[in-house]
Amino acid sequence: MLITELKAKEALLPQICGKVFIINCYGCREIYFPDAAANEFQKELVDSGCVTGSITTDYICNPDNLKVRLAKHADAIEAADVLLVFSCGVGVQTVAENYPAKKVVACCDTYALPGFQGVTPLEHDCRQCGECYLNLTGGICPITACSKSLVNGQCGGSKDGMCEVDPNMECGWERIIRRLKQVGRLDALKCPVQVRNYATDEDVK
Amino acid sequence: MENYTKYKLKAENELASVLAGKDNLFVIACNKCFKAFETTQEADCDVFVEFAAKQGKTITGTAKVDFLCNKPLTAKKLSALIPEGTENVVVISCGLGIQTVADLEKLPVFAASDSLNYTGHHGMALTKKACDACAQCYLTMTGGICPIVDCSKSLVNGQCGGAKDGKCEVSPDKDCAWQKIQERLEAQGRIGELKAQPVQIRDYSKTNFKVINEYVKAVREKRFENYYGGVHPVEGKEPTEHLSLVRFPEPDTVVIPMSMHLGAPANVCVEVGDTVKVGQKIGEAAGFISAPVHSSVSGKVVAIENRPHATRGTCLSVVIESDGLDTLDESVKPNKPLEELTADEIVEIVKNAGIVGKGGAGFPTYVKLKPGKPIEAVLINACECEPMLTADHRVLLEFADDVIYGLKAEMKTVNAPRGIIVIEDNKPDAIELMKEKTRDEAGIEVLVAHTKYPQGGEKMLIKYALGRSVPSGGLPADVGACVSNVSTAKAIADAIKTGMPLIERVTTVTGKYIPKPGNFIVKIGTSAAALVEACGGVSEGDVLIKAGGPMMGFPQSTLDTPIMKGSNGIIAIENDEPEVQECIKCGRCVDVCPMELKPLYFAKLVGDAAALKSYNIMDCMECRCCEYICSSKIPLVNLIKIGKNAVRGMK
Repeated sequence: MLITELKAKEALLPQICGKVFIINCYGCREIYFPDAAANEFQKELVDSGCVTGSITTDYICNPDNLKVRLAKHADAIEAADVLLVFSCGVGVQTVAENYPAKKVVACCDTYALPGFQGVTPLEHDCRQCGECYLNLTGGICPITACSKSLVNGQCGGSKDGMCEVDPNMECGWERIIRRLKQVGRLDALKCPVQVRNYATDEDVK
Repeated sequence: MENYTKYKLKAENELASVLAGKDNLFVIACNKCFKAFETTQEADCDVFVEFAAKQGKTITGTAKVDFLCNKPLTAKKLSALIPEGTENVVVISCGLGIQTVADLEKLPVFAASDSLNYTGHHGMALTKKACDACAQCYLTMTGGICPIVDCSKSLVNGQCGGAKDGKCEVSPDKDCAWQKIQERLEAQGRIGELKAQPVQIRDYSKTNFKVINEYVKAVREKRFENYYGGVHPVEGKEPTEHLSLVRFPEPDTVVIPMSMHLGAPANVCVEVGDTVKVGQKIGEAAGFISAPVHSSVSGKVVAIENRPHATRGTCLSVVIESDGLDTLDESVKPNKPLEELTADEIVEIVKNAGIVGKGGAGFPTYVKLKPGKPIEAVLINACECEPMLTADHRVLLEFADDVIYGLKAEMKTVNAPRGIIVIEDNKPDAIELMKEKTRDEAGIEVLVAHTKYPQGGEKMLIKYALGRSVPSGGLPADVGACVSNVSTAKAIADAIKTGMPLIERVTTVTGKYIPKPGNFIVKIGTSAAALVEACGGVSEGDVLIKAGGPMMGFPQSTLDTPIMKGSNGIIAIENDEPEVQECIKCGRCVDVCPMELKPLYFAKLVGDAAALKSYNIMDCMECRCCEYICSSKIPLVNLIKIGKNAVRGMK
């Protein structure tokens, strides 16, 4: 469940040669799918006569169901030279693995959602640093709430409580200090200097 | 199935330092998500409690919560969870859950867990495939193998040269992604394309978090608008919304089931060989929650037997051969004008006319009109939130005066000062017309709702229009509301003005496999097959026919069923029979359930009636949002029906 944006037409058109089959994934449409832009682009393709068929389905990242559903369109897919996939990157990879002999074109770019792994659209964000700092910061994440992801306090660049990198954003560290004051835990900031370890869980396993 | 649980308990030495000097702890643990749904009891909470006890800490209580990051639901239950005397709240969850609690809770909140640090974003199926959301998809150029995620160095311009025997030099157990990319492109004869590619430069500024944040906020606002949950399926109303109502030709034969309503089936009161007329009663109401049934044609009763029924398998039905004369029964005559009728008289008229909720459920309307409680507002459900159907929309446009007349009759009957017609904003023409028509009507207003399924659900409607929540197991009357469908209001108007009982209705016939879709005024008992035939039949393909809309409609194995009082549509759509997968606890069913239930447990605990009851399965209205959104394609509504039967059997 990631946000997708249609790639520029100029980038897509050179990739389309011969007959095409279109695969739309609406699984995470609730979050975002560039419906209008994709429909318009696809209509042009249909009008040009190069489309052998299309399917609009959901959760194409699920390989078992992708197979079941595409099986019904086997002839149209066979007749196509190129598979156009309108989905996030996981969906495109799943289709490509299923049709290793076909050219698969990713028609969208994928953007991350705030919230874990892009699967929970939330106002909070967590970048899975693997060493939760929230104990020291009153539950406000310094990695995501501070533009610079500082873990040892304010950079000193904020002005009137706003971030110097993004003036529309409140300084995360001011929020942290305010919250700690509120719950009477300012002493939490007297902790030793924090050093961030960028290893992934695979690295440290 | 991969396990994408997002957290693990912190190490004991760190936990000890977190707990130093703190006591009277309340522990909230999030039941993990994005893993196989194997257990409803995760161990982490108990492990932590044991550790804290060893440290001599007092635990004031614990709670194991699903999807702690679901802020609206967490906010509702949090304050009730934490007992007096608690000084500190300890949260075991990923960073999202901890931040959510820290935001909502006044007490100090501590994290007892670390997020697990994976690379890439997984999909809604827990495979090894991941996407880094780089915002500049390279997959076209690389044969569908991701160079960002699959190459340890995330190179975008080819191999680093360090691979040995096809294995990565950074992680020797990993295949070199670029070798795989080259092999695939070679097999496709596309290696030249790769060579001709200009040098790729990754643009890290493309992932603009601020834009995305704003976007997500908007999405969430849309999701929680008017009431919690709900979905936005493709509307699919365009093919029929502008088609005027067409009166379907007089059928040769009608098959009228004795059960077209909630409650006891009517008792047949005619015999084979009898001559009947239009509007003549052929079935008597059989109890308080029941409704009489009338003939929709004049002619001869040729059979009284079990016939196929769209929602109940088979049902005792009266089969009448029409004489084509449409002779009215003597009982059908206009009543006194509305102004002169008393409330009791209107209830009698509605009862005798066999009027039942025409939105689908078929609850006898007269019962609603005797609420026994003060009613503040009569709500006319003109949302028609069900995708593809346009019957109510056309009734609004073509019988606006009758709908308002019916509303006034209901207001008078239940003595309600207000009447509210709620219409979704995908019907601007109907909104305009109804506003125009009700401008000078005292107490009647038109309320516009943003389109969201199931806005037309009784409880959602009341929540939006009156801001009140109907209690679990309660009725609209408990919060001073009386809700009826547009077509029901029209039927009430007909019954009063002409004395005609409920013998016809408006039905939409549509779908990808219906060549000539349309909206029809159809006599009750008309064969669905005849109606579909008039629309050009069902075209070739793997078709699913449903009585009703795509969300709440009933799948049909035969078209040999009659149109009934609640038949708002017949659709022929693509049959999608995906494979049912294991639940991955993605939480989307909880995210969309308008009744704020946890549908995943209804599938997990099927058979355990007591447990299902404790998860409030009886509050489910079977709107199918959960099944629609389910990424594992679990037939939740069927399982819920089975579960409800098990709960009913408990007593």
